[in-house]
Amino acid sequence: MNKNSIILATFVLLITFFICDDVFAGNYDIAIEDTVTNAQDIELAGKGDSLIDYLMVIPFAILLLMIATGPIFYPHFWENHYPKVAVGIGSAVAIYYLAVLNDHHSLLDSLAEYLSFIALLGSLFVASGGILLRVDKKATPLVNVLFLLFGAVMANVIGTTGASMLLIRPFIIMNKDRIRAYHIIFFIFLVSNIGGALTPIGDPPLFLGFLRGVPFFWVIENVWFIWILPIIIILVIFYIFDYTNKSGGSLKGDKEYSGMIKFEGYRNVFYLCIIIIAVFLDPAVISWVPSLHPLPIGIREIIMFSVMIISYKRADQSILRLNEFDFEPIKEVAYLFIGLFIAMIPALQVIASQAQIHADKLNAGVFYWATGSLSGFLDNAPTYLNFLSAALGKEGLDINNTADVRHFVSIDVIYLRAISVAAVFFGAMTYIGNGPNFMVKSICERAGIKMPSFFTYIVKYSVPILIPVFILVWAIYFR
Amino acid sequence: MYPINVVLNKKLNGLHYYNRIILPFKAHILKVIVSSNIITDFSPKSKKIFIREKEEFTSVYFLDYKDLNDALSKFDAIKMVVVEKGKDVFDFNNHIKISLYLEPGHKVKIEECDQDIILLE
Repeated sequence: MNKNSIILATFVLLITFFICDDVFAGNYDIAIEDTVTNAQDIELAGKGDSLIDYLMVIPFAILLLMIATGPIFYPHFWENHYPKVAVGIGSAVAIYYLAVLNDHHSLLDSLAEYLSFIALLGSLFVASGGILLRVDKKATPLVNVLFLLFGAVMANVIGTTGASMLLIRPFIIMNKDRIRAYHIIFFIFLVSNIGGALTPIGDPPLFLGFLRGVPFFWVIENVWFIWILPIIIILVIFYIFDYTNKSGGSLKGDKEYSGMIKFEGYRNVFYLCIIIIAVFLDPAVISWVPSLHPLPIGIREIIMFSVMIISYKRADQSILRLNEFDFEPIKEVAYLFIGLFIAMIPALQVIASQAQIHADKLNAGVFYWATGSLSGFLDNAPTYLNFLSAALGKEGLDINNTADVRHFVSIDVIYLRAISVAAVFFGAMTYIGNGPNFMVKSICERAGIKMPSFFTYIVKYSVPILIPVFILVWAIYFR
Repeated sequence: MYPINVVLNKKLNGLHYYNRIILPFKAHILKVIVSSNIITDFSPKSKKIFIREKEEFTSVYFLDYKDLNDALSKFDAIKMVVVEKGKDVFDFNNHIKISLYLEPGHKVKIEECDQDIILLE
């Protein structure tokens, strides 16, 4: 374990210790009463009582700015110190919440969500790293389109992270003689994000909705026709890009392709299945699953972390080597997102309070654009929950009550549709919009592909390609 | 000093010390990938890499790292596209893709990249 890993582990342990201190001391009920909860924040903000310090959004803005500018303007400093920067900024916000607001619960909630997030991402990353998919097939625009479509569908079965990790290498190898940055960008758009909008396994926000009471098949039943539109349009745009890419042809002459697809690492497929089953092991879903409350971790996360360790220890070493397996991509996500999860607490509370205050003015279009534009830069899971909370609030329902959520789903489909698709779709807008985006970028750079910077990604690809598509989705379904 | 093909066939190893690797051959280095750093600037002004050729070996210093062991896992390699000194650098058939794995005892295992190892020129 290196120095940075020790910093992260110590930080997580300290936060857990401090925020659980009251609980372990047997003062949990008192702590609840004394603490400003998220819901209370919202209520008080609605009455004009300013408990939320708007200035505390600044650390989050600084972290976002540094993630965007670091690799471009001060790469040496950023590469060496981003763990300290992320943990440092997260610590500043955590100290403010603990010492000034005496708000343990916002931190505990964020920590629990972070651990769930990293357990799912980490376990999928490690388990899929032990699987080798060999595709010896000549890439043509049509083959690439079919491959991306397959990836988009697979994202709903093994999650956007699992599908991204499993398919990015074969996709690069298939295209190695003609690969350009746009290949990877479209892969991020379709496989790492938009594709996973059909099931709660697909993307973390939908998973959180499922835990709160949205039925498992509600998403696919109510969103499939919206999902198809951006998938088709983006695939058509990709086809045009790829068709006009005339750089094909091996540098070492024409290569013979066998058309073979070979799969190795079946043991890790079993581990992937365990991870997917573990997704459902939550007291909110299955009543006999024990809750480990007040610990910010559950049975599900313990299983996922265990599978992560076992699948790494027992993986075929030659496959790990051929996959050039390295923990660095998941470490990068772990460090940056611990800072982001904590630093974004004030930002999300501001959003929640504003959403409650202006609940009457909120329509499906506002939910769509607000959830989407924030999901591109904040983590889409808590953003989804806050807007779902606001939508429920419009009907006088409580997001913490499963029966209320189920009732809401039956009476107000359009708001949940808007929030669900926006939270998933807009994750493709930036490298930080969704966990797998960063991992795919990192893997591609290790393969020698020069990836666009944070800003170039937005200006050259997200804005001209995704925004028109998202406007069309809004105009047809949510206007 | 050996030709690269001899080094690969005889499985001769290199050496590593902190941010320096020592390779038992001379070559035109076209591209180096270490972690997610893609290095193509090998001029003396490069802030990422410094190459020094001696009669018996080639030293490569990775200036971004204090110790390469901290940057690379046991499955992670430094990857290079190289051309044997004296051969036509413009002929892609002369381009050799190699992986360098850091091993205990300061050894560097030098292998030609497997077809499943992705290294794009």
